[in-house]
Amino acid sequence: MLFPRLATAALATALFALPAGAETLPMPTGPVILTISGEIENTNGDGTAAFDLDMLRALGESEIVTETIWTPDTHTFTGVRLKTLLDHVGAEGDEITAMAINDYGVTIPFEDATETGPIVAYEMDGAQMSRRDKGPLWVIYPFSSSSDYRTEVIYSRSIWQLDRMTIEE
Amino acid sequence: MTEAFSNRRKGDASLWRRGRLLLAAVGLLCVIAITFLVSEIVQEMRFLNSASSDNVHWVLSQAEVEFLEFHNAIDLARQSDDPETLNAVIVEFDVFYSRMMTLGTGSLYADLRAIGNFGYPVSVIREKLDAMIPLIDGSRPELRAGLGTLAAEADEIRPLLRRVATTGLQFFAERSDESRSSVAVTMLRLALITVALVLALVVLLSHTRRVSNQTERRGQELADAYARLNTILQTSLDAVVVSDLQGKILNFNAAAERIFQYSRDEVIGRNIAEVLIPDDYRAAHAAGMARMRETGEHRVVGHGRIRLESKRRNGQIFPVELAIEKAQAGEEEVMVAFLRDISHRVASEKELVEARDKALAGEKAKAEFLAMMTHEIRTPLNGLLGNLALLDKTPLSSAQGRYVRNMQISGGVLMHHVDTVLDVARFESGVSVAREEVVHIGELFQNIVDSQASAAEANGNQMLWGWVGEPADWVRIDASRLRQVLLNLVGNATKFTRDGRILIEAERSAETTGEMLEIRVIDSGIGISEEDQERVFNDFQTVGDANFAGQAGTGLGLGIARRFVEAMGGEIGVESTPGEGSVFWLRLPLVLADGPGKPEEHSAAAPEAPGRDILLVEDNEINLELAREMLTGLGHRVTEARDGEQAVAAASGHRFDLILMDIRMPRLDGLGATRAIRSGAGASRDVPIVALSANVLPEARDSFTEAGMTGFLPKPLTEDGLLQVIARFCSGAKPAPDPAPQPPEPAISPMDRLRRRYEDETRTLFDWLATGPADRAEIAHRAHQVAGSAAAFGQSELREALVAVEMAADRNAPELGATIAAARTAWENAPAPTLS
Repeated sequence: MLFPRLATAALATALFALPAGAETLPMPTGPVILTISGEIENTNGDGTAAFDLDMLRALGESEIVTETIWTPDTHTFTGVRLKTLLDHVGAEGDEITAMAINDYGVTIPFEDATETGPIVAYEMDGAQMSRRDKGPLWVIYPFSSSSDYRTEVIYSRSIWQLDRMTIEE
Repeated sequence: MTEAFSNRRKGDASLWRRGRLLLAAVGLLCVIAITFLVSEIVQEMRFLNSASSDNVHWVLSQAEVEFLEFHNAIDLARQSDDPETLNAVIVEFDVFYSRMMTLGTGSLYADLRAIGNFGYPVSVIREKLDAMIPLIDGSRPELRAGLGTLAAEADEIRPLLRRVATTGLQFFAERSDESRSSVAVTMLRLALITVALVLALVVLLSHTRRVSNQTERRGQELADAYARLNTILQTSLDAVVVSDLQGKILNFNAAAERIFQYSRDEVIGRNIAEVLIPDDYRAAHAAGMARMRETGEHRVVGHGRIRLESKRRNGQIFPVELAIEKAQAGEEEVMVAFLRDISHRVASEKELVEARDKALAGEKAKAEFLAMMTHEIRTPLNGLLGNLALLDKTPLSSAQGRYVRNMQISGGVLMHHVDTVLDVARFESGVSVAREEVVHIGELFQNIVDSQASAAEANGNQMLWGWVGEPADWVRIDASRLRQVLLNLVGNATKFTRDGRILIEAERSAETTGEMLEIRVIDSGIGISEEDQERVFNDFQTVGDANFAGQAGTGLGLGIARRFVEAMGGEIGVESTPGEGSVFWLRLPLVLADGPGKPEEHSAAAPEAPGRDILLVEDNEINLELAREMLTGLGHRVTEARDGEQAVAAASGHRFDLILMDIRMPRLDGLGATRAIRSGAGASRDVPIVALSANVLPEARDSFTEAGMTGFLPKPLTEDGLLQVIARFCSGAKPAPDPAPQPPEPAISPMDRLRRRYEDETRTLFDWLATGPADRAEIAHRAHQVAGSAAAFGQSELREALVAVEMAADRNAPELGATIAAARTAWENAPAPTLS
């Protein structure tokens, strides 16, 4: 597991011209919608990395077109790839504890964070998601692409109204 | 293969077919079951794979929790002025709103929403929440002022939400039950199919085991059969060689090893031609094999046992008895040859044949010797009798005349015995050949009666013959043998009958094999006892009777008769009652023939023959004198020659009418002399030459003809024989230039007298018959007497008619009157009586 992760880190470094080693992330200028804590290298606070919407948008947009069991019809979700996000903060761990506004929490293993895996979505059908529409952030897996993603475990990991992540060994 | 075995194989085959059908059915069942099972499981898996439910129980209770959080936040905000409490109200509203939106729009809950108790409260709650939005999103002071309203609204939402939660839970509980029961059904099916599969497997297994047992048993049977076959092959006394159609040896048994002296391993795979076929036969063998391969024609194969030659390892060629059959061995055609070394058998057969040939040659030599010796005896005996006859014509005292006649009688008996022995010897040596000719059978009987009548009369016997039923006239038969047989039978009857009757009866009878002629010689003599009847036809058997001891002969007569009759294709037998008489019968195939226009009168021409010029060649002085006396007595002129050289010399200078040539002579024999005369240019080179010989064997006659002789006259010479020869060979020749004086004319007056007497007797007979006499015995007697004369006077029809009268009278037959009438007609139509 060590090697692919190093390779992925190197790729991310090349993409975003990030210097190796610990780095201070820019500070959020808008309302903070996501705070990542735990085993991360790059921070912008007291061991945490806080993100506003623009910072997330700056990490590159990914789209997943899928149905969900919680919504009617097919929707286009736009967000940042979970893997990109983890790389960005220099996460070094095995699992992510993701928490919602109402303190609903799930554990997402690092293995889920692949190039085609889940995104942390902030738009549905081109519109930003409000808190009432399960926003501002919703972890979306590509449910329609494979039955592997249509399991109760995955459904449980698909957390909405996300606002915190803790990277754990 | 036995039939039982092949039947069992047929049974096995059908069992096997049934087994295969069963197997196929079970297999198909399995495939269907497995397909069904797999599809079922796939369906279940698909259902299980894509979980269509989130943790709904949790979601529903979470909705209540979030509602309580919202309600709690409102309560907290009403009790405090802290602006954070208002923020908490907004956040908890959003969270609850979001939850209710999920329940109201999420595809997961579509089924649930169809239930009124769920869908309706959810939509009511959502309407109430939507109604709250202006207040929530409005200014803070307004929100704080509206908290009371919010609390009241929330209190209304609470029971609705409770209803939603309980309905949802109940729904999902039911669905879970359904899902479980569906799984249970699938599981049950799975179990059933598993059981079915296991059963199918058990069936398959047992079938496979049975098939395997069968295969094993068949294998064992095959092995046993093979072992048996091999034992048979190896213990067979005949060599068994199996080859393919090219002749390559495939099998070679122990007997083959022994016979051919090759070991099995040496010859397997080699060609029959190079190993077992003698070099001389190889080309023929190769041609035969090629022919068989190309055209399928077999000259040896399948033709049973044949004899050929074969070759051993050491090159020895030996005879074999061989049978080859073609057989199908699996895909291949093979030839199976069974060979038997028959060299020992052939050798012993050869020995046997040699031994038999030697024995036959010995027998023949003996018979020939006997025949030769008998001839040698006849020749001097002939001289003796001839001279006795001549002596009898000279003036003799009465005592001398009596002695001469006694000698003549003794000589005649001796001649008869010698002739009898000669007959047997000739028959046994195989030189006696049947000579069929066309004869008038009635005439033959008449001649026998005529010739024997006087002998019969000497014993006081009356002799006659006649037909029973329809008569036959011209027939094709070996007359000479028949005559001899009848003479023998009649002679016997005469010998053993005193003052009685001897009757020859002839009768035609139709048998399945063709028409037969039965001739019975019936006598009223002493008869033959039962045990003697069985042996009278054996050789050297005489029947002893004190009264007739003097009559005993060689005991060969009836033996010869039996041989002759059998050689003619007939049979002979006897029935007799001692003291009353005997019936000797013989049955012969009857072949009717067309007779010549007029019966030949052999001796008729002889007296008319003019005197001939004859060369007589004979080295034996007595025989020469005898023959000369006879010839001159007949009025011919005789020139004598005592050997072949003299004969050739005489013949070259003078043309004779006839040459009578003895065969065995000193210096030049008769055959050499004949060749010399025929090949020379002498005056008599083409005149008839007649052989005089005691050797009557057909080979001898053939050699005479080869030498150029024209005819043959057996010794001893008789006047009759000479007459016939001269009549036959000199009829066309011109009379000799100096004819001998004619023999004295027979006295005419006695002939006329005889004829007149005959005419008187005949007329007297018919006059007497016209008076209707009742004494049948007298009728028979007188008819018989006149019948005997009629033949002599050339009135054969009258004779036959009178014989019929006699027989009818004898048998006291009712047709006597008719036969008398027929005889009268024959008499009236008869030609003038002439003595020939």
